Amino acid sequence: MSILRKVLVVDDDPVISKSFDRVLTGKGYIVVSAENGQEALNKVAKEEYDAVFTDIRMPGVDGIEVAEQLRAKHPWTPVVIITGYGSPDNQARAEAAGVSGFLRKPLSPEMIKKSVEAAISAVPPTAAEFPPVAAAAAQPAADGEQTAGRKVAVVFKDVGMFLAAPFIGLAYIALFPFIGLAMLAWTGVQAWRQRVSPD
Amino acid sequence: MHRIYMHPLPVRVWHWSNAVICVMLCLTGIQIRYVGLINLMPFRMVVAAHNWLGFLLIANTFIWLLFYLSSDRIRTYHSELNPIKLFRESVRQFVYYGYGIFKEAPNPFVASIYRKFNPPQSMTYQLIMLILLPIQCVTGILLWDLTRYARAVAFFGGVRVVDTVHVLIFIVFVFYIPFHAYLGTLGRTPMEHFKAMFTGYEESDEGESTDKAE
Repeated sequence: MSILRKVLVVDDDPVISKSFDRVLTGKGYIVVSAENGQEALNKVAKEEYDAVFTDIRMPGVDGIEVAEQLRAKHPWTPVVIITGYGSPDNQARAEAAGVSGFLRKPLSPEMIKKSVEAAISAVPPTAAEFPPVAAAAAQPAADGEQTAGRKVAVVFKDVGMFLAAPFIGLAYIALFPFIGLAMLAWTGVQAWRQRVSPD
Repeated sequence: MHRIYMHPLPVRVWHWSNAVICVMLCLTGIQIRYVGLINLMPFRMVVAAHNWLGFLLIANTFIWLLFYLSSDRIRTYHSELNPIKLFRESVRQFVYYGYGIFKEAPNPFVASIYRKFNPPQSMTYQLIMLILLPIQCVTGILLWDLTRYARAVAFFGGVRVVDTVHVLIFIVFVFYIPFHAYLGTLGRTPMEHFKAMFTGYEESDEGESTDKAE
């Protein structure tokens, strides 16, 4: 079992799931995206998620239907509604569907992080996460070491990239005239080809 | 339209103190180097001011460095490792600055919290912050007390070499500061980026941004 928590983000705007991905990746989460409600339900049917974040307005199955179906089939999975406007009617429907909370746009990294932590910590581990009794005692320490190791690796990578950046920049600047000329030549060739055979 | 929290408080504090310190360093530097061109204060005083401002700049740079080393925003200063992508985006950005901007074409670069600099801007900042500024600080310290650092100065080729490097980088900064301010006016309104550097928030069109986070 991995200590990585799986978060499903359902939104027809890929920018939202990218935001979750940027904020949560490397912090002990795996972000999976779905572009619509039906895709989300298919994904939840195949594997367990620790939390589902869904937009309301989507083509086909909307976010509240997703919440309702999850409430029926996976009542332990917290569902958080991501909303821009939040009409009272939608809010009442969502509350009736038993959502864990609302996340209002515009989103900030802190909002995303806090909301995910709150949603996940509010529920006990999912059925699929219960490990065998013997393994359960040993697992957290091993997973904790893995997470710490991964964090250290991320810090080393970040600082390494930071320190290497100006030298990479210098190399690019040195290459720029040559690659610039090559790109210019390539553009010229493309233009000439188009002129010779417009089709 | 939504807001992106692009510039955290430590970055804003560093940025504006750096702006004031750099302008004052340039002015005092001009008086020291080009005697008679400007006369801000007596020569001894201007040298002392230049030295103190230099130490403030070093301290301020450490604020910047500590913030980025302890934050995941350090990714802002990472290089694009795909050279083809970098050159293609750089050329697009140059075409925009040289031509598109005058035709009201959209800026080809859309900022996000971890990618707030366009490719040429990113390379420029990496070079300035991680190569030119440290060299300027080191040469400044060496010139501050030539007797104490005589061996180091000799190691780098003598006073003339150290002084020339310091002055050359100073000239780069003198031209860079107004250029930086000019680029700052190229938002949707001339004051947009300046305001953002006070409030921390950049405005972004819904659907255009690559990141709604922050």
